[in-house]
Amino acid sequence: MVKIVKGAITLLLGLGLTFSAVYAGGNSAWWKKAGAPYKGAVLQGIAENTPPGQFAGEVLAKEFESLTGIKVRLENTSWDQMYDKAIKDMEANSGIYDFVYIEQDIVYSYLDRDFLVNITQSLADNPNLVAPHVNMNDFTTFIDYFKDAKGDVFGIPMEAFLKVYLYRKDLFGAADAKSGFQKKFGYALAPATSFAQWRDNAEFFTAYCAEKGMECWGTTVQGHTGHPASTYEFLESVGPSFGLYNWGVTDDFHSCVAGGGSLNGGRAKGALSFWTSMLEFAPPEALQSTWSEVASTFAAGRAAQGWVYGENAAWIASNKEKSLVVGKVGVMQPPTGPGVLTQAASGNGYIGYFDGGAYGIPHSSKNKEATLLWLQFVAQSEVQADWAAAGGRITHYSTYNDPKIKEMDQVADGYFTLMQNTGYLYAGAPMFPFHGAGRAAIDPFIYAALAGEKSPSEALDGACKALDKVMKDLGYQK
Amino acid sequence: MNSSRTAWLLLSPTIFILVIVGLVPFLYVLYVGFFNWMPLGKIKDMQFISLGYNYRELMFDEYFIGSIWRSIKFSIVTLLFELSIGFILALSLLSSFPLKAFFRSVHTLPLVIAPIVVGAIFKLFLVNGLGPVPYLAKEFFDFKFNYMSSENFAFWVLVIMDVWHWTPFVTLTLLAGLSALPEDPYESAKIDGANNFQIFIHITIPMLIPVLVVVVFIRLMDSLKIVDEVWMLTGGGPGYGTRYTGIHIWKEVFEKRSYGYGSAMSILYLYITIVICWFLYSVMVSRGKVDED
Repeated sequence: MVKIVKGAITLLLGLGLTFSAVYAGGNSAWWKKAGAPYKGAVLQGIAENTPPGQFAGEVLAKEFESLTGIKVRLENTSWDQMYDKAIKDMEANSGIYDFVYIEQDIVYSYLDRDFLVNITQSLADNPNLVAPHVNMNDFTTFIDYFKDAKGDVFGIPMEAFLKVYLYRKDLFGAADAKSGFQKKFGYALAPATSFAQWRDNAEFFTAYCAEKGMECWGTTVQGHTGHPASTYEFLESVGPSFGLYNWGVTDDFHSCVAGGGSLNGGRAKGALSFWTSMLEFAPPEALQSTWSEVASTFAAGRAAQGWVYGENAAWIASNKEKSLVVGKVGVMQPPTGPGVLTQAASGNGYIGYFDGGAYGIPHSSKNKEATLLWLQFVAQSEVQADWAAAGGRITHYSTYNDPKIKEMDQVADGYFTLMQNTGYLYAGAPMFPFHGAGRAAIDPFIYAALAGEKSPSEALDGACKALDKVMKDLGYQK
Repeated sequence: MNSSRTAWLLLSPTIFILVIVGLVPFLYVLYVGFFNWMPLGKIKDMQFISLGYNYRELMFDEYFIGSIWRSIKFSIVTLLFELSIGFILALSLLSSFPLKAFFRSVHTLPLVIAPIVVGAIFKLFLVNGLGPVPYLAKEFFDFKFNYMSSENFAFWVLVIMDVWHWTPFVTLTLLAGLSALPEDPYESAKIDGANNFQIFIHITIPMLIPVLVVVVFIRLMDSLKIVDEVWMLTGGGPGYGTRYTGIHIWKEVFEKRSYGYGSAMSILYLYITIVICWFLYSVMVSRGKVDED
């Protein structure tokens, strides 16, 4: 009996040490030594409540603490609150947070306002804190978004993913659906490669589901009429896929056609018209849907196709506890308008949004050195595979080759392969320091178009004027 | 003299706290309102352009003026409903009926719920695909309940939410007032042959004016500055539909980071609120039934 108990304890200890050792990159001793001067410190961070954020808070933080004795408290909260709290803390220099989530689209504003610590410089100034086994070259080009003009890093990427086209393989593969679609539209049913096909699919499946008494509709629409998520879907996904790049803003900060911009141009209006017309075939919750609700809608089997953020694609495709469509999810590159793919391939445009974020250190942090250790911990290549499997995100080249991810890729219908092979066609948000203010000016017009209070044309005519006013008031437009 | 000094001494901690958390921030906002301060702009520091520049801009800001009209409309509509329903309930609670105490307790529950939670509760009830109201509306009335589909729809849902939340306050306050009314005028009126409606109009209402003034002012000020519930339920949408002034100012200050302009908005809106309340007070007082002490 004693032998059995001793054996069990040894096994458990061994497993625990192995687990720690794996996440420690085989460098437990280094982490323990580096963390010793800061043992007992508590790092407070704030981020968006997403699967990658949850993994960081619930798994990586615990591992880090067990190795270094430094506690990490990650406050995963809503997107709105994350921004509000982080920005207020940094503006007031109150030092509440030691690290903050930096969404890709807001990094330019943070850099412009000098909110963040220069991580490259800090590590150069503190060589004893540099984790020798962390390979910064393993980061994908996504890290470039968090660098300044000199190439210094201000944020360590913790998530990066594409917004992709998801479709229901079971619905598209149903024999009666195929024959019904062929009969109605005169061509074979298939996931959308054009917007006309998207529309036909949406119309068909809305009727198909209604006939069969199923609670499903033809397409998702991220169309909340009171939340910026809808503006983002337009500016970052629908717009670019129609050929509207960088919000239609010129280098001298004009967005209206009259000033040389294109926010109210033909492509933009075409995009908004298409997108708002999809409401007819979207579930009733579309007008109250942010990215989270769209993911839930798709996972609940309520849509045949849709644009879905990649961080959700993985769990929708694989998590039986949360998704009703496991094994039924197809992943594809979204459709694009004429010429858009060519422009994107040549570097003169993009087809959609390369989303993601990083952890950065505010100047007001009271535990900068300890936080540098934490950021390097999450930057290790060794932690990326489990993180990617949990959160559908990849920030390191080596993660693509991990067996866990290759296996996950099969389940997620090649989502990771799609990201690896076509990620270069996507782009982050434009480099606008006034990102938040500009988007806030456009918001009500997009909401009004979705609610049918304004036509797409009227909405964009108003939106570009409002955006131009903001850029002028802020001193960007002369 | 001594008692006066003692009184001021005892009051001083409260006054000190009120000055720190009330007066000082107010004066700071008043000060900032005279500057152009946009940290997202090329010039990040406060700039003095000209005296009253922000206020002059506000006079022609259609979005700000629109938000004021929306706020006034919302306040008047909710106040009318709350007063009417509150009065009826207060009168009912004056008489005895079975389970009266239980009803009074349950009826008061919404008051103890935080505004943001009220917004969350209504959102869960009303969200499509999840909430029971849209489901039941479709199931039994074949009606597509989608409150974010039109400004009008969103407006009335917010009215219902506010009435549900705050009518108990009106009920309880009026009930307290009604309970404290003297019996003599009623007896005299009955002797003189007045009917119930005449008694209500010519005796009850005039005697209740002081309580009504309190209720109207408190509810008016609260509804004019509403943010939490609306934020939770509609976010100010669809479009500008429920973007009341409180939300408009929040978005101006915390989304656009336009601190100077937003501060001027706050001060101007405070002034407008005071004017509205003063006007209402004058109208009610001119009925000649208020003891102005």
